[in-house]
Amino acid sequence: MYRQANAKELTTLKRAFHNWGIFDFFLDKEILVNETDNKTKEIYLLAPRAKEILCGKDAYCAGLKIGELKKKFLPSMQGADIIARKSRKFSHIVVDENAEKLVLYGRDILGSSIMEISERLSENDIVVILNKNREAIGVGRTRFPAPLLLRPGKVTVTTIVDAGYYLREENN
Amino acid sequence: MYKYDRWLVNRFIQFIPDTKGLLSRMDRPAQKYIRVNTLKITRDELKERLVAKGFVLIDTILVDVFAVQKSPYPLGASIEYLLGYYYIQDLSSCVAVETLDVKEEHVILDMTSAPGGKTTLIAQKMKNRGSIIALESNLNRINSILFNTFRCGVFNTLIYRMDARQVARLNVRFDRVLLDAPCSCEGIIAKHAARKTSRQPKDIEYCSSRQKILIEAGIKAVRPGGILVYCTCSFAPEENESIISYVLDKFPVKVEPAGYGTEGLQNFGDFQFRQEIKNTRRLYPHIHDTLGFYIARLRIMD
Repeated sequence: MYRQANAKELTTLKRAFHNWGIFDFFLDKEILVNETDNKTKEIYLLAPRAKEILCGKDAYCAGLKIGELKKKFLPSMQGADIIARKSRKFSHIVVDENAEKLVLYGRDILGSSIMEISERLSENDIVVILNKNREAIGVGRTRFPAPLLLRPGKVTVTTIVDAGYYLREENN
Repeated sequence: MYKYDRWLVNRFIQFIPDTKGLLSRMDRPAQKYIRVNTLKITRDELKERLVAKGFVLIDTILVDVFAVQKSPYPLGASIEYLLGYYYIQDLSSCVAVETLDVKEEHVILDMTSAPGGKTTLIAQKMKNRGSIIALESNLNRINSILFNTFRCGVFNTLIYRMDARQVARLNVRFDRVLLDAPCSCEGIIAKHAARKTSRQPKDIEYCSSRQKILIEAGIKAVRPGGILVYCTCSFAPEENESIISYVLDKFPVKVEPAGYGTEGLQNFGDFQFRQEIKNTRRLYPHIHDTLGFYIARLRIMD
């Protein structure tokens, strides 16, 4: 069932949107929460007119899933895409072409294939994975703090979701 | 020589111009098209990227649709595809959406949405504003809509798991309704050669009776003054002009010119259709280099 975010959820989301640099993008759009059977809170972006139409009619899907809300907001692939397009400053890594192909198969990232990292990354930070064109190809989690992320021969970022995921699912 | 059931070819001869040309064209692979997803990239940017990778793209009658003459790898395997920069979609489907005359503020119903190609094109024409309701009853097919709307960055769409015949339950009147009706699919034989022999006349009868129910439900869902676009990928007059003829007898609707394509049939066998059915359009693989398609644009009168 899709519903409005409650006050606590809204506060967490607004803070997350601010941190990801996309607060302004959401000002004229609707944010909805969909609690799944396993109690995951999925966050959806919806056009205002669609929200009016939705009222009282439970949809299978309402809008675009931009992430999940646990203790923190975790962007989905679509959320990462919005961040990469709209935000000027956000936690990210840029990978080389070889790693891009591997990420699109869901593989984790070696330090030697990271071309650039954003400022002040710590261990366990969520990052948007960008290709050399600065397009979002995935979302990852750092395994080390910033200086160690470029270590050759070591997996330094875990890929959480990637742009190839849905296609692999569909083919299965 | 072309390995069709005889009854099917005998029918084609009655109403398809240059039937031999059609049969010959259907034995060659269908022309592939991609539609630029302007929600994410401009036409020129995408063209430049794909051409640099070795694609050969040819302009079509629609500015955001390219015919793909050559591609270095399958169209669904590029990073541009995964990022939602384009949709692999036949030109005929894009023409059908063009006929719908979508405005940004509209509330639109896509009665048979899966896999989401027309839905995502409508969303891009609306610049993600307004609202689209997309219906599909089969769960597996809903997943294909999700994949495509998510990939294309669409956020003005509500997907309902619902049989399109039940649309009245939503209690919404729509500015535009698109009904791409389930059909006998004669028009896609170039993609699925098995259809040369897998269909029987009774299949056309079955589809036709179902299409009447669907179009009735669709017409009732349109607000007065709104538009319903009816389309099929069939050549059969029973699934096309006869359906429009049926609703003209039953509802206050007007058939408006549908744009690109050959005029709708004026007769089939002994049956004479109304003059205005000429305003509907037929797309033929050997004439228009698309899949076989039929498009009718109906204005719902007050």
